[in-house]
Formats: sequence, C-alpha cells, structure tokens
Amino acid sequence: MNRFSLIVVVPAVLLAAAGCGDGGRRTAASNTASAMLRAVAEGDGSGACALLAPDTADAVAQAQETSCAEGVLREDLPAPGAERHADVYGQWARVRLDGDTVFLAVFPGGWRVVAAGCRPDGSDRPYDCTLSGR
Amino acid sequence: MTRRLRENSLGLVFGVLFLLALAAQAVAGHADFNQQQLTDGLEPISMGRYVTSASFAVDVAENWQSEYLQFFLYIFLTVWLIQRGSPESKPVGEQGLESDQKQKVGPYAGDDSPAWARARGARLWLFSNSLGLVMGLIFVLSWLAQSIAGVAAYNERQLSDLEEPISWGQYLASPDFWNRTLQNWQSELLAVASMAILSIYLRQRGSPQSKPVGAPHTATGIEG
Repeated sequence: MNRFSLIVVVPAVLLAAAGCGDGGRRTAASNTASAMLRAVAEGDGSGACALLAPDTADAVAQAQETSCAEGVLREDLPAPGAERHADVYGQWARVRLDGDTVFLAVFPGGWRVVAAGCRPDGSDRPYDCTLSGR
Repeated sequence: MTRRLRENSLGLVFGVLFLLALAAQAVAGHADFNQQQLTDGLEPISMGRYVTSASFAVDVAENWQSEYLQFFLYIFLTVWLIQRGSPESKPVGEQGLESDQKQKVGPYAGDDSPAWARARGARLWLFSNSLGLVMGLIFVLSWLAQSIAGVAAYNERQLSDLEEPISWGQYLASPDFWNRTLQNWQSELLAVASMAILSIYLRQRGSPQSKPVGAPHTATGIEG
C-alpha cells in the first residue's frame, strides 16, 4: 500500500467505524419500538414485556407490584404513533414517534426497549419517561 | 535477508511495536467497554464489534491526530525557529529555507537526486514541502476522523443516559471534543519542548537524536 492509499484508506475505515449510514439498524429499532407500543395498545402484556430490556421489565413489575405482563398494561403509555425519526449510535437507539419517544439498546435477541413514554425535560437533562429501566 | 532486516530495523521495530500496542489497546478498551455495558444492564459485545465501534475509533484517532500535529509543527517550525545548544535545531544564523545549492535543488541537483528535486515551479515546491504537507494532511484527516467517531461515541453515551443526541457541528463546539483534543496536544507539545531543551545538557551515546557525549553544551545542530 503506497502512502496515498494509506492516507485515503485509514480515515475511510475510521469513518465507517463511526457507524455512519446504518439504515437497517434504524428500521429494526423502529419496528421494535412500534411493536412494543402496539402490543400494549392491544392488551398483549406478555408480547410487550418480551420486547422490553430485562431491567425495564423488572422495573415495571416492581413499580406495579405484579408481573411485568400485567403491570405494563397499567402504565400510561401512548398509543403507537407514526414514526418520525430514528437515531442509532452503537448499542443504543432513540425512536421518535408521534406522541412518544422510545429508547432502545441491543440485546442478544435484537433491539429491546429500555425506556418508553419519554418526553424531553430541558436541553441538558434526561428525558422524563413513563417506563424506564435506567 | 538478515542484512535487509537490519538496515530497516528502525521502521520495522516501531511498526511491530505499533501493531502490538494497538492490539493491546483493543483488548483493554474492549474489557473497559464491556464493564460499562454490564453496569448499564446490557450484554457484553464481541471484540469484532468493539474494534469497529465509534468508541474504539475515537480513542485511536484522538492520539493519531496529536502525533501527526506534533511532527507537522516540528518539521515546519524548525525551518525558522532555533534552540541554541540543541541537536534538534539548526545552527544559529541558518534559519530559513536555505540556498538552492545547500538544498541540492534545480541546477545544483546531483545525479542521484530525486527527479522532482531537479524540477522547477510547483513540482519543486511540492516536493520541497512534501514531508510537512503529508504530516499535516494526516493530522487533518485524523482530527476529522476523531470528530466523526467522537460525535457517534458521545451520542451513544447520551442515549444511554436517556439524553438528546447532538449534531456534528454542536460536537465541534463541545467540551468533550476539545477535552479529548487538548489533553493530547499538551502532552505532545511538552514532549517536543523537553526534547529540544534537555538535549542541550544531556547526552545519549550513539543516538543521532543526541549530540556526541563530549560536544559542548553550546554546540547547536550537531547530531552524534
């Protein structure tokens, strides 16, 4: 590899490593977010909990003092709206839907919802979420 | 073959040490990243995914850019700046681009001079500055790579804290970008200043980076 190739290839590898342009992962994260909210809207608590991160499922069960499948249906989550935008960075994603923002992380089975029913709470503060495993 | 290795041992040894250090950085960085994953209640990631992650890329690029900035500045500034008594400096009074005769360019080029040293105009200018320009170009590209990988790594942390991700432009003005940048710059600049000054008074027998052991402290631009 000559010097010029090195100059071109090295930054290109780094830029690729930065994770630019990963549309497939964005779509997968959006699908999981919508599927979880749809399951809640349809009364399918088990289906919704299967799409939650383990810590989030535990947090729901603890907060509602029942199983996750029953507790998640008592949470005041909005109905699934149309997807507006998704950001994916490494192991994390944020999906913005009409009326809701959902945070997801990668697990062995794919994307799982870490927090949902989230609203921004000032520019430098974490989102305020109805359901959260953080 | 052995002779060939011996005659290129400086570049080869540093090349191998670089690869070993990069591999060790990947191992340590992977362990550190996965420790954070477990703290966040997430699953560990594979080594393959880690070495293609923004976290690894920004950690590598932030160090590369500062090293190439150091060489770029050193190569260009030592044309004009001197340090009395230092083997890293030209002798006092020889600041500047020097004569064509001393630089063996144009009509003063020898039979064994590179072809572009005999050229005129843009080609000669380009070749005359090629070392500094390539170092400067690698610096700019590494710094750009740091900023792009940096914003991705920063936004990954933002999302893990359930916070808003930021744009590349916002990241360029962020404390994270400048903290990563300046902590590397200051160490490189300290190393250069230390080398220029300590080599006035200290010696390393046999090293071309040092004056001969018996050379006076006042001798400038003499390498052993």
